[in-house]
Amino acid sequence: MNYKSGICTFCGTGCGHLLDVRENRVHGVFPMQNHPVSKGRLCVRGWNVHELLNTNERITTPLIRKNGELVEASYDEAVSFLVENLSKYKKDTSDEIGFLASPRSSNEENYLLMKLARAVFRTNNICLDSDPGHRTTLDVLHAGTGMAGMLGSLEEISKSEFLMVVGIDITKQNPIIGSELHKAARAGATMVTIDTRNTQIAKLSKDFLQIRPGAYRIAMAYLAKVMIDENLHDADFVKRFTAGYEGFAASISSLRESDVEEKTGIPADRLKETARALARARSAMVFFSSGISGFDRDTISYIYNLFLAAGKVGREGCGVNPITGINNLQGSYDMGIAPDLLTGFQPLSDGAVLEKFGKEWGVKLNGAPGSSVYDLMDRLKAMVVVDHDESIIRNVSEISKMEFVAYIGAFRNNFMNYAHVVLPVSTYIESDGTFTNTERRVQLTRKKIEPAKNIIPGWQLYVKIAEKAGVKWSYGSPADVMNEIAKLTPGYASISHDTLSAIGGMKWPNGAARFDIEKSGAKAAFAPTIANFAVPVASQEYPILLMIGESQHYWHQNNLMKKTNLPLREYNATLLLYPQGYVAISPQNAKELNVRDRFPVKITSPYGSMEAMVQVTDKVKPNTAYVAYFVDEMVTKFFMEHKDVLKRGEDSTIPVRIAKV
Amino acid sequence: MYLIKKSSVLDIARELQKEYRVYGPVVEKETRQTMFTGVEDAAELDLNAPIPAMPPKHIVFPHFERIMSYTYDRAAKKADIRPDFDDSRKALFGIRSCDLTGIICLDRFFLGQEFVDEVYRNHRKNMFIVANTCTVPFKQCFCVCTDSGPSAREGFDLNLTDLGDQYLVEAGSEKGKKLAEKMGLAKADDSLAKRKEAIIDASVSKFDAIATDNKAWISRVVNRVTTGLIDEKVWEYIGNQCIECGACSYVCPSCSCFNIVDPQTSEEAADRMRTWDSCSYEGYSRMAGGHNPRKPVEDRRSKRFFCKLSYSQSKKYLRPGCVGCGRCQWVCPGDIGLPNVVTYIRRDIQQ
Repeated sequence: MNYKSGICTFCGTGCGHLLDVRENRVHGVFPMQNHPVSKGRLCVRGWNVHELLNTNERITTPLIRKNGELVEASYDEAVSFLVENLSKYKKDTSDEIGFLASPRSSNEENYLLMKLARAVFRTNNICLDSDPGHRTTLDVLHAGTGMAGMLGSLEEISKSEFLMVVGIDITKQNPIIGSELHKAARAGATMVTIDTRNTQIAKLSKDFLQIRPGAYRIAMAYLAKVMIDENLHDADFVKRFTAGYEGFAASISSLRESDVEEKTGIPADRLKETARALARARSAMVFFSSGISGFDRDTISYIYNLFLAAGKVGREGCGVNPITGINNLQGSYDMGIAPDLLTGFQPLSDGAVLEKFGKEWGVKLNGAPGSSVYDLMDRLKAMVVVDHDESIIRNVSEISKMEFVAYIGAFRNNFMNYAHVVLPVSTYIESDGTFTNTERRVQLTRKKIEPAKNIIPGWQLYVKIAEKAGVKWSYGSPADVMNEIAKLTPGYASISHDTLSAIGGMKWPNGAARFDIEKSGAKAAFAPTIANFAVPVASQEYPILLMIGESQHYWHQNNLMKKTNLPLREYNATLLLYPQGYVAISPQNAKELNVRDRFPVKITSPYGSMEAMVQVTDKVKPNTAYVAYFVDEMVTKFFMEHKDVLKRGEDSTIPVRIAKV
Repeated sequence: MYLIKKSSVLDIARELQKEYRVYGPVVEKETRQTMFTGVEDAAELDLNAPIPAMPPKHIVFPHFERIMSYTYDRAAKKADIRPDFDDSRKALFGIRSCDLTGIICLDRFFLGQEFVDEVYRNHRKNMFIVANTCTVPFKQCFCVCTDSGPSAREGFDLNLTDLGDQYLVEAGSEKGKKLAEKMGLAKADDSLAKRKEAIIDASVSKFDAIATDNKAWISRVVNRVTTGLIDEKVWEYIGNQCIECGACSYVCPSCSCFNIVDPQTSEEAADRMRTWDSCSYEGYSRMAGGHNPRKPVEDRRSKRFFCKLSYSQSKKYLRPGCVGCGRCQWVCPGDIGLPNVVTYIRRDIQQ
């Protein structure tokens, strides 16, 4: 049988697929029909994954930079070179060395990289590429419920009566979850989308509330206020299972209807209807993006509080559901890829936890949290980067100044230009590994082909690096690594490669479908919120609010998608039409500017300017504009000036002026 | 007509293995999913397995294949082109009539028109086909609406029909007859033809109770699809639900669109790869220069159903393009598989 079952590793949905494997190559792909999440469906990325897996753009040998050129080397030489250089900066309190891990690595690989950083190179400066968005969400959910992950379950979407989609272009970002939502709505669930843009899921919703940029927070707060004012919140639930309700209710009592209407651009009556429908439904779920385009902490807190007040947390068909755009974003946090966390969201600062890890690893660990690599960019002397998407280009000036940069990855990428040593690793079909999807589902994907000659999987590379640095790790396989993770991580305690062998794997903690309020043991706490309802406002000088988002087949200048053909062509379909990228504006603004589709315009902000073509579309409201965050040339030049804004995720808006060129 | 004992039916596959690579329905152990795939051991084949998840189309028209490679000598300005055709001998064992009808459509598309597709012709030219009558429909089937089942009428070398304790073996070609004779199969009594008809009638009569997932009275919509007299709003309604994944084309037994890419393998050399393509993708209908006559997704969707259901297209296939397998409905993230589309168009006609 040449069809081998496995898991698609493009996005955080974690769909099941069967790869057509013959003569050590992948010849095609087919969806897995009885997979609990994807149920026989795949998106454009998943249907063409064999193109990526057959790319000629793999890194085929270790490389060391000599006299400015990358020169072929053996693993032995390259690993020695890496260890020698990193050892120079090996100090307990060092902020000279940093590790930038990848949300695409398997759990086993990320765990070993984390161990390597902390136990071997003595630094806690380890963080994830791409975003703080998911961390913010996890902080809110963990503080409230003790669960640092999606509170609901994708499998229960069909059991939910009310579905709220907030600020996520879900049929593009995680198409199969979008499909589940659409099917649930067709089967009778009420779906409401709140978004700045008229997305596909908005069109498929019963009600679409087009909101002004940056006003999600006030809209969520107002929905809660309506529910409380009309006494529609679940008072019994709130009393039995929650804490901190009074404080939350008081904090939003001052909201005024007129203010809400003005700031959100949505008639209050429609918001009221939504609040009532949410409260009356027996079950409800909310979906929002949790990657680079995620919300700020306050918005997430209001979303969570709204659902807690409605009694729609911890019950069947209910949940606050952050959606991860990248395949192992959730798993990476589970593996402690953060300056202040060990596995399973256990804080580094907890003495007992630190001792447990120190004992298992046979070292004395430093309990002082490190820093994010991004915060240290201008101070770091050495950095190890894994499998980076090309958004690193934003930090090129700092990276070129570093004394030592190592790049570890399977595919070629611009980042190699800045590396002093390049270490290739195998892809996910060339080794066993587990990935944790957006609903905490840990899934095992097995080795299906032999890696190209001389290429080793990531976990073996990390063992090699540790060994060169004088530490002997005795893992014989990724399964051994998972056993150690399970031993140290309460949520993963019953997980092993054996228990994951069934289709769909197993969700943490210990197979629980979702957060269960009855079994939680502690009261769910309302998240503290700041009653700050300011929204970004355009000025006379900069009258248009520019929003930054993802685009269909590409996200974050994705290094992987560029190595495919059909998905790449779909990307080019946009790029060929708009070679410098595009800014979407409303027909009304286009008329005022006297421009038509594909006319060049200049976009000016208080900090800089760029030129792009316009895309005229009724998807955006007048006086707002949308930029797809994926075009290299645009992102690098213009957005470098707006790093602080980008940190705010989906709430990122930049007031700009647009003029015809 | 011949007969073979049920317990010996895989001997046909074993006989074929002497000369052909045999492909057939195999239940994948881990997922319990039927895949139509090449086997080393004929015992893996399962004639009672549910309809394969993927039609056998990929054997004559692979998902992703190299069709040639070339090198260019810059100094001599000379190109060396090496076609990479697969003309190996292949036998399809236990193909269902819907899927066989799909291959007949592909034959007429790739071979039956002005230009012959050499890549396809090579895949197809040394092929032996053993069809399998569906004595019971599956839940997603609607071949009775598309005149493509439950038993094949053409295109096979042998056709099997389950008679209970034995299979009726009909030869559809000289090649098939030779094989049956070579195996020394018992001759069947002419009365068994009637019995087979009764089995097919019984199978058809079970559609109402069993094949409940889909109904598609395509004859009611062919006229409208051909003339285009369908309200734009219907296409918009359908287009809004399209997630542009391409799955409907990929699983369709008769979809034949492909894309060509030439990835470089060295400074002077490149491979030519052919991959499946889909009209649901925006880049599919974009022309050089950027103009896209079918930019909105609903325009691309209407094109797909024109291809499956119009008279104009049926002239090429000598039948409708839809073969009633129901797979597009399985894999569609948007709930707009062909049977649903037919329903929406009929609803529009009625209104």
